[in-house]
Amino acid sequence: MSISQWYAGKIRSACVVLCCSLILVFPVLADPEENRSCQESAPLVFGILPFISAEQLVFRFAPLVNYLSDNLQVPVRLETAPDFVEFARRTHEESQYDILFTAPHFFTRANQKADYRLIASVDSPEMWAVIVVPKQSEIHTLHDLEGKRLATVPPLGLATLLVRKTLFEAGIDPDVELDMVITPTHDASLLSSYHGVTDASALMQPPFEAASKKVRDSMRIIARTESTPHIPISVAPWLDEACAAEIAELLVNMGSTPEGKAVLQHNRFTGYRQGDPAVYESLNDLLSR
Amino acid sequence: MPRKSITLFQSLRFRLIASVVSIEIIMLSLLVWNNISIIQATHTDRLRDTAKSMIQQIARTSGNYMVAVDYATLEDYLGNIIEYQELSYLVVLDRDEHAVIALGEFPVQPWPVLETHPAQVTDGVFDVSEVITVAGQPMGRVLMGFSLSLMDEAIRKSRTRGISIAAAEIVLTVIVTVLIGLGLTRRLGILAAAAQKVGKGDYSIKIPVEAADEVGKTASAFNYMVTEVSNRTQQLEDAESQSRTLLAENRNLVHASLNVQEEERKYLARELHDELGQCITAIQADAESIYDLSRDCDTRIKTSATAILDVSSRIYEVVHSMMQRLRPGILDDLGLVEALKDALAAWQERNPDTQSRFNVTGGLANLGERINITVYRIVQECLTNITKHAQAENVTITLTRAADFLLLNIKDDGRGMDVSAPHSRLGLIGMRERAEALGGEFSLDAREGEGLSITITVPLTRGETRV
Repeated sequence: MSISQWYAGKIRSACVVLCCSLILVFPVLADPEENRSCQESAPLVFGILPFISAEQLVFRFAPLVNYLSDNLQVPVRLETAPDFVEFARRTHEESQYDILFTAPHFFTRANQKADYRLIASVDSPEMWAVIVVPKQSEIHTLHDLEGKRLATVPPLGLATLLVRKTLFEAGIDPDVELDMVITPTHDASLLSSYHGVTDASALMQPPFEAASKKVRDSMRIIARTESTPHIPISVAPWLDEACAAEIAELLVNMGSTPEGKAVLQHNRFTGYRQGDPAVYESLNDLLSR
Repeated sequence: MPRKSITLFQSLRFRLIASVVSIEIIMLSLLVWNNISIIQATHTDRLRDTAKSMIQQIARTSGNYMVAVDYATLEDYLGNIIEYQELSYLVVLDRDEHAVIALGEFPVQPWPVLETHPAQVTDGVFDVSEVITVAGQPMGRVLMGFSLSLMDEAIRKSRTRGISIAAAEIVLTVIVTVLIGLGLTRRLGILAAAAQKVGKGDYSIKIPVEAADEVGKTASAFNYMVTEVSNRTQQLEDAESQSRTLLAENRNLVHASLNVQEEERKYLARELHDELGQCITAIQADAESIYDLSRDCDTRIKTSATAILDVSSRIYEVVHSMMQRLRPGILDDLGLVEALKDALAAWQERNPDTQSRFNVTGGLANLGERINITVYRIVQECLTNITKHAQAENVTITLTRAADFLLLNIKDDGRGMDVSAPHSRLGLIGMRERAEALGGEFSLDAREGEGLSITITVPLTRGETRV
């Protein structure tokens, strides 16, 4: 090997090392540039519908919020509201949340009233509400509910709307033939019949599936409502498109990283998919009731 | 026993009160100090526990409200808590450390330095903090300040109350101790005064038995003792009185005997002089006549006459000697001093190894027959004793006449004597009796090997000085 060939080899090796170094270092240097849009809106407020107790809510969704915060490199705050009405008011009137995790029908209204943009949906086929009774209960059909006390979420809750529709369709006027007992959350609704305060409980199927095994195993489903699209994730209209896109990308690709998989498993979600606003248009009919 | 004044520190009352009060003050001070320490520790621990309990409860309760951003409801809830008296301020901070709820006299930023125990507080407010977490996620922070004023006030009241109780107890103890001490020492004082009166011979004293305690029992025992002592003393006094009477009677008898003895001696001496002396003189005169008449006769008559003269002379000398012993005629004829000089000269002749001196001071005429014979007899007895026992080298007799008494001193440098020996006291008793018969005094100063001195003092009255 000649000296010129030896030098040429060394130069090539140096170029390769330099290129590899630039490739490795570039993403690190590039990250701040990419997140600049989200940082402008920092901290981001992640609003979640209070469909379960605040503590349960934090327990379930803190990993998701932390995941977003870590990957966006901006603080993301989990917030909820005392009840559905207040959450809706804060959403519709004050646009208080940067990222909105709410019931499908509330998203429709938020979209209509406050221009929230759909960025993703929980990647599950559909969801529905169920009516459950204690296993030893003599209630087996919807008609057995007549004259009984049925616990449910607040009137604007999706479960209540779906159950009322189902009852009407079964020829039962819930305002006349039942004693609808309003509870603040799905958990409260479930536990009310579990403890015998009411005869039955109406709640969405995901919270029921997320309830403790002991409670779940002691209850029996007597009816399920029609299905609705799964939970949408939307962003406030002022949020930068790039930021919204990055959030959407993080959600959709969550299943591709171990951390993301752990978060999904914790939430009992299979994943997120790109949001399709058309899917939620069917809920306008439900809201009109 | 004379009553001595006692010093303050000797006083039983003072020592009793001082001891009790000192112990009370020391023990109560320790007790109060201990109680105050316990109260202070209890209050500070209570405040610490209360603060910890409250802030933890508030932090737990506030979590859901913080997640729901329901500050109004949270403020309503905390609004009731801020009514707690010791709570100075209550601040809830969100995750950005912004005060979302501020109740009470909350401090301005920077937030106060937190303390873990009220004992660390320097600004009067116990500042504590607790992170609000929900499902392990921090949602904010609670700051609470507890004013120490109420606690300090409670401690101050406790301290004041404790000190007041202690002071009251000390005062009560002092009062009770003083009263008990006064009562006790008063009764002891009564006992002491009564004992002194008894010591002075007042057996009529009777101590009142005020209580059935130890002092009361002592008083009872004292009264019993006084009664017994009084009875015994009375008995002794009676016996002494009887003895005194008997002694006086004996002395009178002795004096009478001495007088009778002297009178008898005087009588015998006169009889010997007047009767036997005349007879002897007659016998001598007859014997001399016979001697003269028998000058030319038978020589045997002359010899007999001479023998009669010798015998009669001898009898005369014996009689004269007896007369001198019974009643020295010189005493009546020339007086006491000459009689003593004569007696001393005669004694000196018999005791040539002893030097005698006779000193007279003052006029000794007209002392009276009783004094003269008494002094003479005493001197006579002393000289006889010196001859018998003293083996003295020098004897001095001093007779001094003062204005109202006569002093006689006989002193020798002989062997002296043991005055306690009974055998040597009979002659002395006679001398004492003679002196006391004149209302005088007799004293003896003697030690074995150091000679002997006898002093007699006789009072002189107008009667005694008559001729």
